Amino acid sequence: MSGTAPVLAAQGLVKRFFGNPVLNDVSIEIVPGRVHALLGENGAGKSTLVNLLSGVLAPDAGRLLVDRQPCARLTPALARRHGIAVVQQELSLAPHLSVVENVALGAVPTRHGLIDYGRLAVEVGRVLDRLGLDVALDQPVEELPLGKRQLVEIAKALYRQPRVLILDEPTSSLTAHEVQALFKVLAELRRQGTALVYISHRMNEVMHLCDWVTVLKDGTRTADRTMVGIDPPALVRLMVGREPGDLFPPFRSTARGELALEARGLTAPGIQGVDLVVRQGEVLGIGGLLGQGQEELLLALYGALDAQAERLATGGIDRPSRNPADAIGRGLAYVPADRKREAVLLPLSIRFNLTLPGLRRLARRGLRRFAQEAEVARELTTKLNVRGGGPERAVQLLSGGNQQKVALARWLPLSPNVLLLNDPTRGVDVDTKREIYLRLKGMAADGMAVILLSSDALELVHLCDRVLVFRDGRIAADLAHRQASEEAIVAASLGVARQEAA
Amino acid sequence: MRQVPSGAALHARLIWRRNRGQIGLFVLLALLLALYAFLHPGLLSWAGIARFTQNWFPVALVAIAQTLVMLMGGIDLAIGAMVGLGTVLAATLVGESALGAGLGITATVAIGVAAGGLVGTIVALFGLPAIIVTLASSFLIGGAALLVMPRPGGSMPGWLSEGLVGVHPTALLILIVILVAWRVLRATPLGLSIDAAGDNPAGAFRSGVNVALARIAAYAISGGLAAFAGVYVAAQTGAGDPLIGNPLALQSITAAVLGGVGFLGGQGTIRGAVAGSLLLAVLVNVMFFLGLPPVAQYVMQGLIIVAAMGIKRLRERAA
Repeated sequence: MSGTAPVLAAQGLVKRFFGNPVLNDVSIEIVPGRVHALLGENGAGKSTLVNLLSGVLAPDAGRLLVDRQPCARLTPALARRHGIAVVQQELSLAPHLSVVENVALGAVPTRHGLIDYGRLAVEVGRVLDRLGLDVALDQPVEELPLGKRQLVEIAKALYRQPRVLILDEPTSSLTAHEVQALFKVLAELRRQGTALVYISHRMNEVMHLCDWVTVLKDGTRTADRTMVGIDPPALVRLMVGREPGDLFPPFRSTARGELALEARGLTAPGIQGVDLVVRQGEVLGIGGLLGQGQEELLLALYGALDAQAERLATGGIDRPSRNPADAIGRGLAYVPADRKREAVLLPLSIRFNLTLPGLRRLARRGLRRFAQEAEVARELTTKLNVRGGGPERAVQLLSGGNQQKVALARWLPLSPNVLLLNDPTRGVDVDTKREIYLRLKGMAADGMAVILLSSDALELVHLCDRVLVFRDGRIAADLAHRQASEEAIVAASLGVARQEAA
Repeated sequence: MRQVPSGAALHARLIWRRNRGQIGLFVLLALLLALYAFLHPGLLSWAGIARFTQNWFPVALVAIAQTLVMLMGGIDLAIGAMVGLGTVLAATLVGESALGAGLGITATVAIGVAAGGLVGTIVALFGLPAIIVTLASSFLIGGAALLVMPRPGGSMPGWLSEGLVGVHPTALLILIVILVAWRVLRATPLGLSIDAAGDNPAGAFRSGVNVALARIAAYAISGGLAAFAGVYVAAQTGAGDPLIGNPLALQSITAAVLGGVGFLGGQGTIRGAVAGSLLLAVLVNVMFFLGLPPVAQYVMQGLIIVAAMGIKRLRERAA
């Protein structure tokens, strides 16, 4: 296999977003007739690499070679012409159009300027049969279940007879039977000399299917080797082990005896039968791959999703929260990941944003008391060290990190009992991260229970008393602080049985 | 192994599938038409059909024009102004001879296509919201119409008016020609990309569809249709009137919404929009024959729009 020339290659790719390097000196060779696994944690740079290889993004340094010819500026259109096809996780289908129209969209056969429906029926039918996809050609895509839509997406890539086929989590919504059919097709494509790149978090699929593996960690390549003679735990070890530096405060538990929240058999859209307990002063981490039910857990606790539970006790009441207002009344507070859309009011002042949730408590006889509000705002900005101007400045003028501090601080006047944090440091600079960590530990020390959802395994390792790892809407592992290494969290996320160090 | 349908069979099935969710509308329309024919038996004659379709025709045209823009996720507030500009251009440019008339109509429609294409270009390339761009263009186009003709005037050749609005169903024929033309366009890659670009612009772009071109084409065709509606209105009134089209902007949106066209793009069909405009026209006539005052007609229209949207939402929720 090593004798075959790569159809697509990258040398020394560098890509930065707003100065932060997401890929650093990454090289990769995509070879015909080989299934190439691309592995890495959340945010390791896999998607960025795929976007560079398919021309969606342009690299800041390094070069791409197609058939050994340097390609100065790869665009999506040019990538298509070179036969590079990507099956993305987010679907690119037009829901109101039919299956045939979607599969052929952008590459419809024509005769005398009109769509050649006869050829379309034959050619698309052949691709669907190959995938074992039993749907009518004329069926609108919106009527199909998610798994079948995913297969239509794959059919769309196959229809173009690509030389390089990149699949990003293609099996995430497929049934076991559909996965089998897909694997048969992929094996056939490999035999026919298609170059395949396979991104998946399902380790057994990777072990079963792939010949070669490239592992990314923090934007750098930590392995590029054959799959022969490597086992899942070794792959996990290649994905973890980032240097935390002095980012995190030294760990000290402030957990007390009293329960702050207890849930048993919590079920909501996206989660199933979750049991959890948080104590006052405890920081409970929620980890796992993206979209395994972590966010749904927070929203269910916060009353923003319909939830059922055998027991959901907090604030002296045992029942699920009816809606966010009810949850706030019971002492819960939620800081969303998308602060700009769900938390702060961008054009309004820092003072107004900080006092909005507690406005009613600050008022007297239904009238606002501006002096008190200003006082509270001043206190909070000092306490959380919000930088970027006085309390009358609009929040949109602050940096992302300082906006996040406002989103966090505005709950403090209500002195919540349980704080639900949804990835609070996403897109935040390093210094602000450190401040948020300190504040978060400070609030726990004051007795608040903190539930911290994070896509960064290191945060969970260094900040949390306990870490729950989610997988397919259930808790896959419950790790105490001592056991919660980055490796353990990643292994549990991927469903890899870890070899216990003797 | 699947049975592979012939091209014609597949095409026919695709066309039929696009009726989904609209059968109720077509049934309601048939019932109302029957009621109308019952109340006003004069409808069932050449003259009756001719007169009815002539009243309905401009609204049908602007409903199609509006739908093309709404399929792109936009909305066109300038359609009324464009009709007004169409009438004054027609009343100025259309000559007495057959050649002069042909050239004048062609020039009017071409100006509509150009104006629509320009608006589409601004929307597609600068990513500005259609509602703002078309609000601005409604003033520009309305202003242009007033420049050409500050007050109603000009004239249309008598034979042309007689041909278009005499006692024969020319309007119905033209409408059928337009529907067939859309059917042909929809069977080309460009027509498909107009539908796809409205439905999922990002996905269509990633699939290799020229989304900007599809948008510009939709706005340009829309502008041409609105201008042609102006030609027809000028033939009806025998003169140009820069302000005559203004009520049509809102009527076109009403008809499109009744016809099942969604505000988010990608949802709806041209045939649905035509049915919506027909529903509107029949309803007004039926209420007139039932002796309801004009005020009641307005109230009724409002209620019907809300009811149509409500039923649609309930059905989406049930699905």
